[in-house]
Amino acid sequence: MLNINFPKIDKKTFNDLELSLAEEKIKINIRGKNKDFFTKVGKITSIILPTEANTSSSNEKFNALWLSPDEWIIYFDGKDTNKVINNLFNEISKLNFGAITDISDHWVCINIKGRKTFDLLSSSSPFNFNSFKKSKNNVAQTVLNHTDVIIHHKEVDDVNLFVRRSFAEDLWLWINDSARFL
Amino acid sequence: MFIINCPYCGERDQSEFTAGGEAHIERPKQPTELSDDEWAEFLFMRKNIKGVQFERWNHAHGCRKWFNVVRDTTNDKIHAVYKMGEKPSID
Ligand SMILES: [Zn+2]
Repeated sequence: MLNINFPKIDKKTFNDLELSLAEEKIKINIRGKNKDFFTKVGKITSIILPTEANTSSSNEKFNALWLSPDEWIIYFDGKDTNKVINNLFNEISKLNFGAITDISDHWVCINIKGRKTFDLLSSSSPFNFNSFKKSKNNVAQTVLNHTDVIIHHKEVDDVNLFVRRSFAEDLWLWINDSARFL
Repeated sequence: MFIINCPYCGERDQSEFTAGGEAHIERPKQPTELSDDEWAEFLFMRKNIKGVQFERWNHAHGCRKWFNVVRDTTNDKIHAVYKMGEKPSID
C-alpha cells in the first residue's frame, strides 16, 4: 500500500450501532469471463467467484463480492499481500486471462454493525434493504447520501461499506451525524 | 421517479441510472462517404417520441452496464428491458 492519508475515522458507538474503520484491508478488483480465468482465481484464492448477481462468497481469508457479470472485488486482511497480488497478476493479467487491479488505496472500508445498521443506511439511500437485510452474503452497489458505495452484508446486522477514498471523510461525517438521530 | 429492472442487478430506483438517449442508432459503416447533412443526421437528430420509445440506459451507480429500455415517455411506464444485442419482448 502507498503511504497516503486515510481519513480520520475513529471508532464510534451509538445506541445499537457501532462504527469503525475496517483497515488495513486489501482490495483487489478483478475482471474476466472465460473458464481459465475462473480456474486461476480459484487456484490462487481457493474461492469460487459468485456468479449470481448481488451476492458474495467467502472463506477464512478472502471475500469475493459480485459487482457485475464479469467483475468482482476480492478483499482480505493485509498479510502475504504482495504474494497474493503478484500471483493473481502474473497468472491472470500477464497471460491475458483477465485484469487484476490493486485498489486498496482507492477505497476505504467502513464497518457498521448493530441493530440499527439498516435504519442508518435506509435513511439516505434509494436501495430497498427489505430482502437484503434478511440474509448475509448479499452485496449491493448503490448510492448513500449521494455517494457511490458497495455494501457487503457480511454477518447479520454487520456490514462492510466501501467508499472511494476522496468521498470517505464526507460520508463518514454524514454517517456520524445521521447515527445520532436514529 | 420510477423503478427500472436492471437486467443484471434487478429492480432499482431510477436515481441509480443515467439515460443514454435513443437506442438502435447504427453508426454508418463508411463515415467518410457521407455528406455533412447525412453525418449530422446520424450524430444529432433524434426522434424524441411522445409515447413508446426505445432507449439506452446505464446502471451508473450499480453494475455500470449499458442496456435497453422500452419506455412510454408520456407516463414512464416501462414495457421491456433487455440487454445489449438482444431483442425486446414487449407486453
Ligand atoms: Zn445493474
